[in-house]
Amino acid sequence: MHKIRAKLARDEGWTFIEAILAVVLISIMVLGLTIVLLAFKEHLDRSWSIRTMDQYGNDVIERLTHDLRNAVEVTVRNGPGNTHKIEVDALDPWYKSLIHSTVWRADPNHARIFAGRELIDPTFPPTAMGAGESYQIVQFTLTQFGSLTPESQWERLDARSRKDEFLNAAWDIHLVLRYNRAAVAGRDNNWTYEKEYFNRVYMRNKNLMVARGITGDEQ
Amino acid sequence: MNTKLSKWREEEGGIDFVQLVIGLLIISIAAVGTFQSLFWGYEQLDFQMRYRKAISIARSYAEYWQGRIHTDFPEPTAPSFRAIKAGNLAHPLEVLLDERDPLKSDDDIMCKISYAPLNAVDLITTGEGIDYWTIRVRVTWFEPTDNPRDSDIYEDRNGKPHEIEFYTAMNPATL
Repeated sequence: MHKIRAKLARDEGWTFIEAILAVVLISIMVLGLTIVLLAFKEHLDRSWSIRTMDQYGNDVIERLTHDLRNAVEVTVRNGPGNTHKIEVDALDPWYKSLIHSTVWRADPNHARIFAGRELIDPTFPPTAMGAGESYQIVQFTLTQFGSLTPESQWERLDARSRKDEFLNAAWDIHLVLRYNRAAVAGRDNNWTYEKEYFNRVYMRNKNLMVARGITGDEQ
Repeated sequence: MNTKLSKWREEEGGIDFVQLVIGLLIISIAAVGTFQSLFWGYEQLDFQMRYRKAISIARSYAEYWQGRIHTDFPEPTAPSFRAIKAGNLAHPLEVLLDERDPLKSDDDIMCKISYAPLNAVDLITTGEGIDYWTIRVRVTWFEPTDNPRDSDIYEDRNGKPHEIEFYTAMNPATL
């Protein structure tokens, strides 16, 4: 062992075998690191895009939940694709005769959601996306409690025994967003990631006196 | 110039093969450590996404009970009253928390959702009987890295699950 070590560690320059071994080892290291780094970069890029989408999905749900909680009436109509146009009516805090209506709608082709004329997040989808990247709105709907749920779930059965006052005020928001990463180079594969955002809202004001327009100016 | 060239050409003081191998070994260990920590960070981001979803599930369930108390709550004399008031901590519902890979179903993360016994609060000052009810919703789930996936059955897993408790209140509608 000592002899081998002394031979390998000598300062008289490298033997041909040592040089070949060194080149092979360094090549394996560089190649391995390059592959891992490229894979990790791809992973980070996808991860970042998913986080961006996730933030947007949560923002939309939060904003719509907030609007519905304060609303006195909601009207749902069909929109493009699997989306709804949601008209949310809220009372003016000072004048009982004033009703503010906001129409929520989705633009599935450009992955944008509007509340009235306002974009929920002007920075989504990002303008500088990579080659092959795109976002899509697969679903943006507002449905009554128990009407859009897998067959086995308890909501569907439960909804049959609920009062109309409850059903008319309990709404489910479904938002499904998809991130696409289409193949750019020959060996690439298409890749998609879909996520569903869901929230249930009980419109308290619909079953309160406030729904009849009795507000602060009456007192 | 000549001295500089001869210094570069000299054989003494250069790295030998053992030093090179040790150097490569150190770089490899450092790379593995770095990637492990990055992977851990990525897992944490995934956990945060599930945590947010769990909050959303808890809030939706609490919203359901708020609605029920507000407009669709049984009278104290109704047969279902006691069962509803008792909560379902012992028999929670199981719902999907994270589908993860849509092509596989064995990696799905399920969560359990339940509510504690509903508590009636009577503020004596109002003199109107029960003023509001308090609702406590509980969501629990296991992360894939929490314990070995030797069992996919929720109850058979060891350790404490991740838990979210959502606390809110509601009064019955008077309309």
